[in-house]
Amino acid sequence: MKRLVLLTVLIASMLLSACGSKATQGPVTISFMAWGAPEELAVWQQIVDDFQAANPNIKVNVEVSDWDSYWTKLKTLLAANTPPDVFAMDAPLYLDYQSRGVLLNIQPYIDKSSGFLDGFYPVTLEAYKLPDGYYGLPRDFQTVVLYYNKDMFDAAGVAYPTSDWTYDDLRTAAKSLTIDKNGDGTVDQWGFSSDLWDMELFWSEAIWSWGGEVINADYTQTLVGEPLAREAWQFMDDLMFTDMSMPDTNTSGQYGGDLFQAGIAAMTTIGHWAVPGYATVEFKWDVAPMPISPSGGRATSVNSAGFVVAKDSKNPDAAWEFIKYCLSQTGQTRLTELGLAIPVLESVANSPVFLEQTMVTINQQVFLDSLAFARMKPVFKGYDEWASTIGDGMAPIWLGEADFNSTLDTVVPEADAVLAKNK
Amino acid sequence: MEYGLKPLGKERFWLLLLLAPTLIGLILGTFGSILATIVLSFMKWDLLSKPVWAGLENYTALFTNEKFYIALTNTIKFSAMYVPGVVIISMFVAILLNRKIRGITIFRTIYFLPCVTSAVATALIWNMIYGKDTGILNYIIQSLGGQPICWLCTNNAMISVVIVNIWGAIGEGMIIFLAGLTAIPREYYEASKVDGANGAHQFFRITIPLVTPSIFFVTLISTINAFQAYDYIYMLTRRSQGDSSVPVVVFSIYRNAWNFFNYGGASAQAIELAIIVIALMAIYFWFEKRYVVYE
Amino acid sequence: MTNTKQKYTLDLITYILLILGAVIMITPFLWMVATSFKLPADQFTKTLIPNPATINNFKELFGTHLNFPLMFYNSFLISGLVTIGQILTCAMAAFCFAVVNFRFRNLLFTLLLITMMIPSQVTLIPNFIIFKWLHLIGTKAPLWIPAFMGGAFGTFLLRQYFLTIPRDLVDAARVDGASLLRIFWNIYMPLSKPALAALAIFTFQGAWNDLLHPLIFLPAVPNTTLTVGLAFFQQQITQGGKYTVLMAGGLISILPLILVFFFAQGQFIEGISLSGVKR
Repeated sequence: MKRLVLLTVLIASMLLSACGSKATQGPVTISFMAWGAPEELAVWQQIVDDFQAANPNIKVNVEVSDWDSYWTKLKTLLAANTPPDVFAMDAPLYLDYQSRGVLLNIQPYIDKSSGFLDGFYPVTLEAYKLPDGYYGLPRDFQTVVLYYNKDMFDAAGVAYPTSDWTYDDLRTAAKSLTIDKNGDGTVDQWGFSSDLWDMELFWSEAIWSWGGEVINADYTQTLVGEPLAREAWQFMDDLMFTDMSMPDTNTSGQYGGDLFQAGIAAMTTIGHWAVPGYATVEFKWDVAPMPISPSGGRATSVNSAGFVVAKDSKNPDAAWEFIKYCLSQTGQTRLTELGLAIPVLESVANSPVFLEQTMVTINQQVFLDSLAFARMKPVFKGYDEWASTIGDGMAPIWLGEADFNSTLDTVVPEADAVLAKNK
Repeated sequence: MEYGLKPLGKERFWLLLLLAPTLIGLILGTFGSILATIVLSFMKWDLLSKPVWAGLENYTALFTNEKFYIALTNTIKFSAMYVPGVVIISMFVAILLNRKIRGITIFRTIYFLPCVTSAVATALIWNMIYGKDTGILNYIIQSLGGQPICWLCTNNAMISVVIVNIWGAIGEGMIIFLAGLTAIPREYYEASKVDGANGAHQFFRITIPLVTPSIFFVTLISTINAFQAYDYIYMLTRRSQGDSSVPVVVFSIYRNAWNFFNYGGASAQAIELAIIVIALMAIYFWFEKRYVVYE
Repeated sequence: MTNTKQKYTLDLITYILLILGAVIMITPFLWMVATSFKLPADQFTKTLIPNPATINNFKELFGTHLNFPLMFYNSFLISGLVTIGQILTCAMAAFCFAVVNFRFRNLLFTLLLITMMIPSQVTLIPNFIIFKWLHLIGTKAPLWIPAFMGGAFGTFLLRQYFLTIPRDLVDAARVDGASLLRIFWNIYMPLSKPALAALAIFTFQGAWNDLLHPLIFLPAVPNTTLTVGLAFFQQQITQGGKYTVLMAGGLISILPLILVFFFAQGQFIEGISLSGVKR
């Protein structure tokens, strides 16, 4: 009797173990969500096809949406516990998600593939590294540089920006490039235009160049109102209201979001993501590094988009395979062809795939060289709300409705309150 | 007002059948969601982690939340201009169109056109129209010798936005009023003419009273729409990635729920908004009992 | 004589006012059409007839591989289903509220109206979770099933209209022994064509323009509705300030609505001319 029982148990466990291993048969489907422009959908599809060809038992459903839609949908899916397996993450928002426990710690996977992170630009990994490992990895990165419209410079007889340019040079050039073409009293061409809401586009770089800081090291104090930072704000204020070579928000709003692309502004500062859009314009342009401040400092902002895996993903292994592919030489090369961003693998970045992109002939090296003086866009829990408090608070200044010194005095405490709330 | 048939015996079944879809909808869908919203308004939820009980915190926070107060004031100001505007103008247009004149179909179509569109698409045009240096409005004003106005600047933004919203709602009100006006039997007018009434008499003694159901309806719907107005306002007054120069309550709700990881707070704001509208509704219904004339 | 002159003056004033108003109503649309045919460099010119005219903007729109036909189809399907659902179920409920006297009638009606007061942004997530329990995520069902469960606006609109239908019709039918259902289907529905047509237009348009629900419940482009597809496309274009392409997109998105309106307009005419000889 006992032997029969033993035998049954033995056979049963054998069957069960056979079932266990059989469970991994058949293709696994994972979902991948990213934000992007319509052109990117085609490229992601291409990357997915290549990946599926190399991994026949994994299928990937890729979904690309515009920025606003993306976050709305993502948050809904996360709230309802049906998250996508892999999704794109913006570095500054990374901790808002990680701290709320929805991301998977992928350190174990990284450990299994030794030397996996060796070829990466170290600064791009900083944002994602946490004491207990990585909860995400960068997919590509951005540095902000100065773009200039060659045709407008030629027409005004101004020399192109060089890597020795100072902010004062920029200011002088902007003045000469602000023109009322038909003499009707309204300016038709602006010397300089940039977004002043999001720090990444211009004002964090300016503050850093002047030697100031945006926030302190443990994210408890907002420092945009400190003396050195105020000197930077003064520069921007002068550019807009004294020289009037930068349009205020009411004026720039008429032309859509990007005056440089619309051919209305001669210079702008923005990241590499603008390149595909700018490639379609009808004027000649190129890029130069961010200028030098009066005190001799130079800084720019570095940011990245990354991959993260949902903590409750049912197929973390497959998800990891996909990420691994996108971060491999092949994957990175394909992504670079997108033209949107700079690959995180140094080898790919330094190769013709990036440096000699066919989309448009510009000095791509500038983006890479800018890493030497690039500061990371702050990453911390509560970033979204904190940045909104500052952006919203400073907005009246750029509408000409408030003076920046007094506004800073009110905004900084409000921002600090948000920091305290999110600690 | 006690009106209506009393269902006899097994007619109750038919009554239930007719009401069934709505009842199911109320229980499952809308109440499910509304109850959830109420419950969530008493919690702190960031969408990603588990909701945490917060008692009345979200509501008390509203009293000290200056941004919410601004949004509320804007919403009320907006509604105070929008509702009368829509009701009066659309009724006026309907009355004009109800006269026997030629070309009614064309006019009706044209007046209804702004309704048959998407706010997102049309807001873009209005952005162009309102442009300070590039817009048509200022172009017209300047060619007539006037000074250009900055329509979307903070001090004018409210009016500009109200205009666009009214523009987009006239057609809706017009249709309701037309349907209501044409339901007034001709005999009433003919009979009154026999009694010696003139145009003005007819208007104030017959038309207006008999069109009160439509007035009631349009006022109520416009109020609800006004408090929930979002699309046009957002598209015309948004600043970069952030705020709007005319933030309204729905805008604040959206930002709190989706950008600030503060779903509980957003729910509380939504409930607060609903309470205000319900209060207004109660007032309207009181007026309905007293002034609205049904046949 | 004075009467005719009075009529003529009134008519003239009517015409002038109507025409002025019509100009204001329609100019933005003419502008949209004009701009969508202009070259981007000309987008701010104040002419109504583009010179030179181009269809490049539309080409750019369709050249983005967004599979417009599929999105059009999805939009039509969903909007159509929603419209049918609303007309049926709202009419059923409106009839009960307007004509039948039952317990809790006022309470129920008030509750119904309250449902209109919570903005959809906030009920979105609870809604999503409900449909997740029903395992309907990934299908189009969450977009049209709620439409078959009544609606506050539609019920309210039809109730108001039903209330204006003379009671003696009902009483006469009662005498003839008609059941509730008969009264509803054979008396009230045919007499309410104008209101039903109005509701159809509003509902169709609301469903067509809805961005939030298709965004959440349907997969991303391309198997989604037109509104989502255009939003996807628009962000990029707004950045570059190419109003011409944006207008082209806007035009494409509202053309079907206008067509539906023209189609339903016929009902208006029939309804309005009928009520003149109602009794």
